[in-house]
Amino acid sequence: MMSQLLSYLSLPLVHLILSLVVILAFLGVNGIVLIYVERKVAGFIQRRPGPYEVGPWGLLQPLADALKLLSKQLVTPMGADKILFWAAPILSFAPVVICFMPMPVSPMFTGMEMNLGLILILAFTSLNVLALCLAGWSSNNKYSLLGAARAVSQSVAYEIPLLITVLAIAFQTGSLNLSEIVASQTKGIWSWNIFVQPIAFIIYIIAVTAETNRAPFDLPEAESELTAGFHTEYAGMHFGLFFLAEYSYMIVVCAVATVLFLGGWHGPFLSGPFWFILKTYALILVLMWFRWTFPRVRFDQLLNICWKWLIPLSLINLVLTALLVKIVR
Amino acid sequence: MSMMEYLAYAAFGLYLFLIVAGGLAAVLSKNLIRSLVGLIMTLFGVAGMYFLMSAPFIALMQILIYVGAVSVLIFFAIMLTRAPGGESGIEGSTPKALKRGLLALATALMPAVILGAIIIRKTPETLPLKPETALTVLGEFLTGPFALSFELISVVLFVAMAGAVLLGFERRKSE
Repeated sequence: MMSQLLSYLSLPLVHLILSLVVILAFLGVNGIVLIYVERKVAGFIQRRPGPYEVGPWGLLQPLADALKLLSKQLVTPMGADKILFWAAPILSFAPVVICFMPMPVSPMFTGMEMNLGLILILAFTSLNVLALCLAGWSSNNKYSLLGAARAVSQSVAYEIPLLITVLAIAFQTGSLNLSEIVASQTKGIWSWNIFVQPIAFIIYIIAVTAETNRAPFDLPEAESELTAGFHTEYAGMHFGLFFLAEYSYMIVVCAVATVLFLGGWHGPFLSGPFWFILKTYALILVLMWFRWTFPRVRFDQLLNICWKWLIPLSLINLVLTALLVKIVR
Repeated sequence: MSMMEYLAYAAFGLYLFLIVAGGLAAVLSKNLIRSLVGLIMTLFGVAGMYFLMSAPFIALMQILIYVGAVSVLIFFAIMLTRAPGGESGIEGSTPKALKRGLLALATALMPAVILGAIIIRKTPETLPLKPETALTVLGEFLTGPFALSFELISVVLFVAMAGAVLLGFERRKSE
């Protein structure tokens, strides 16, 4: 009985479906945990308690919120493009699930071993902006449309330094396979890419903060200027899906940063998936810390940071990496 | 036939549907944004076809560049030119429109009929699926035998970029 079950597990199709189910469950739980953590971190930084009414230490607050979102009526505004309005939140969330497939959480837990894992993740994360555009346009609301326009110019700009820095790491490893990139950082802490490529790490973190529309780069949904930006007209679980997608993208980019720069599942002792998750959530805490520390930048400042600083720096970093790799080999 | 083979056929059917339905949506919808969504569907279908032909690199590049960048730029262009309703100037079912539609249909069907006739005459052999080409091999091909075309493409991109910069500077001077 047991051995038969195990033999089913080794079938590629069963493996695929099983990993998809595990990823979906993980993303749901992750969303709930991150909402709670974000509120508590915000409260801590702003010297207030954060949620504390529902359950011990407010632990049940995100569950109550999720229930509220699930039970709310889904409203379509007048004059909205119905099909696209409904499709946009789904299109925002669906690609994230695929982004987790090649993630090497540990040598045992990899959804799908893939030679082009890095490109797969980059390709499917770039779909999010499309969903934001459709949401903003189909809502038939000027704030939504403005938010969508901002989302496009922001993410088109920040995708360039992101791709170039990731390319530098790929040059150095000579592979786009995430497992191989992790395997190249096994020789102790000092072989982690964060110490080999510190500039690339800084550029990567700034670029992904902008790509995931987090403060200080949250201009597409800047609540003090645009009500709520692209998701102004969304309520109930439509909004919930956008929210879930945002937190899922956060964990995708942090997991990729863990793989590229922090040695994946390797640790100073007891290497294993435990380290992968620890590093990923530590990076997420750093992103939250950013959010509640820096004020929102102006739009021209945002584009200047990208075009005048990040892109030239990342290009220099790429050329230097290529030169050094050529000399060392 | 094994399970995976059935799945491959199912995937082929799905991608074919995406390509054809996306193309029809792009041509028939009267709204520019919906046309764009149709185009994106088609691009996705083509990317899936690349996957089926075991060329995952090209498939992912298709998604990254065409879906992630080019169609987003098209979207931006539509928004900047302020075509919110995006009503195209098609009159109703006047006889002229009917004639136009018939002509368009004939033009679209002509290559399909010719190619279909050739394929039915001479059915090509089914080739066994080649294993995935390694990225290093692909890179060596691009910088070796196909170096000239590769460089020419980069020249085209350079001209486009230089033109954009030039236009931007001229506009700033005139202001």
